Amino acid sequence: MDINIEIYLKEEELKLYKDIIVNSIRARFESVKASIGIVALSGGVDSSLVAALSKEALGDKLLCLIMPEENVSPKEDIEHALELVKKFNINYRIININGAVDWFKKRFEEIDFENKNEKLAVANVKPRVRMILNYLYANALNGIVIGTSNKTELLLGYGTKYGDIAVDFYPIGDLYKTQVWQLADFVGIPTEIVRKKPSAGLWVGQTDEEELGHTYYEIDRVLYCLVELELSVRETSKILNISEEAINDIYRRVIASEHKRKIPIITRLSRMCLDKDWKYPVDRH
Amino acid sequence: MDKILKAGIAQISSRLGDIEFNKRQIIKGLHLGKENGADIVVFPELSLIGFGSGDIYLDKVEENLEALKEIIEETKKLNLWAIVGYVDKDERGFFYNTAALIGAGEIKGKFAKTQLTNYRLFDEKRYFKPGSTLPVFPTPFGKIGILICEDVWFPEAARALTFRGAEVIFVLSASPFDRGKIEIWDDFLKVRALDNIIPLVFVNMSGIQDGVTYWGGSAYYSASGKLIKRLKLLVDDFEVIPVDLEEPKRLRRRDIRVREVRREILEEILRAYEEMSKWI
Repeated sequence: MDINIEIYLKEEELKLYKDIIVNSIRARFESVKASIGIVALSGGVDSSLVAALSKEALGDKLLCLIMPEENVSPKEDIEHALELVKKFNINYRIININGAVDWFKKRFEEIDFENKNEKLAVANVKPRVRMILNYLYANALNGIVIGTSNKTELLLGYGTKYGDIAVDFYPIGDLYKTQVWQLADFVGIPTEIVRKKPSAGLWVGQTDEEELGHTYYEIDRVLYCLVELELSVRETSKILNISEEAINDIYRRVIASEHKRKIPIITRLSRMCLDKDWKYPVDRH
Repeated sequence: MDKILKAGIAQISSRLGDIEFNKRQIIKGLHLGKENGADIVVFPELSLIGFGSGDIYLDKVEENLEALKEIIEETKKLNLWAIVGYVDKDERGFFYNTAALIGAGEIKGKFAKTQLTNYRLFDEKRYFKPGSTLPVFPTPFGKIGILICEDVWFPEAARALTFRGAEVIFVLSASPFDRGKIEIWDDFLKVRALDNIIPLVFVNMSGIQDGVTYWGGSAYYSASGKLIKRLKLLVDDFEVIPVDLEEPKRLRRRDIRVREVRREILEEILRAYEEMSKWI
């Protein structure tokens, strides 16, 4: 099979994609008549890119919330977040989330960090606390929360339900991680932010690629074959020269996380079940 | 003497179900056309109700028909022709994705989209019945053929309009952007113009609704398949374009491809189609 895996965007596509994303941010903002856009800025490449594009779309009607967890979030992330807001002249607040996270931890004192589920449950409190803060500001200021998830994360379900995934819209949700890197370079996100190892920052020393068991380069090529080219696991394995086992490992994540990409399933009783029969756009006038 | 049609391309962003807003935009486009000397002003597919409106299509048909009357009235005041995309309803109550050809105060003809899109994000069969006729319309500026979006992704419709003597084909569209889409459209439009030795005017929607970008980039392809003019990508734009209706006649003197289409081959295509239909 002769198949071209064209994940990388061409130069002329980068400009077009940037314009489309900026327009889409402005369109959502105007559609809900918001007064301000809220972006949770971690200092990572995804939120940096969204912040920069939101700045272009909204100008001063943008507020970045930098919400570190002291002793867990790497110092360099906070420095990077500050570097970014300075470079793009973005309004921001720094809010330390340790107090809130500790409060939840104390409600669950028997916690055993050796137990994977319990460790993850506590880790998930952090993005959920940040989500609450996002909406605290958004509700108070008539704002809209701009999501920073990318397509790779959304497909793998690599995000916290009702945490970082809980936002009003996903402007870069149709871009793979490797494309995010490209676009970030293109719009002038500082190189040290683009080049550093991606991390969800849920515990000390965490990196995405180690946790996922594959590099983003590898994952994106696999997802591109499975999702964009609609190839089977076997075909993907042949084309990429990667074991079927490794591809299945990625594919299983995609299947298992469908619930994170949908509204909760409604038990259908009428002929107008709201998640099945009712088809109205969000931008409705 | 050259026969030139001055086509006003009104590349607008329609809001979903916001008929009042869309109507005002269309009326504004008519005035722009008048001021800039257009013979006819053409608007995108479903520009009156908004493409991708989902179940709103079912709720707002009456309102969109009322608004169309006001638009027709406006063309009368301006003594102008127009092509407007809207949802039409027949006497049985069926809905159609339709383009109205309006001539200075009255509907001169209607075209209903023949190839409804029902894949990926599209769901048109949920709402519309497809049209099955491919008329051409006489106007003071020449014989006009109209197609809507997907109709031009199939070769047959443009062919039929050519056989019927269309001198220009207007393609109304609301094409959602995705990777490579602009290039594919460029190929299709160019090939339809080349195949039929006919000028094509592509009028596409712009703007973003529900995260879907309508990429604009309306265009004029000459009868020799050359891209003569491209409007702005993504955003609203307006342009009056001189469409050369003489060129096809000049080209067809030596280019025999339309003249020499053989009935036997057309019949063979139909037989082949029926054979295919047996196994699908």
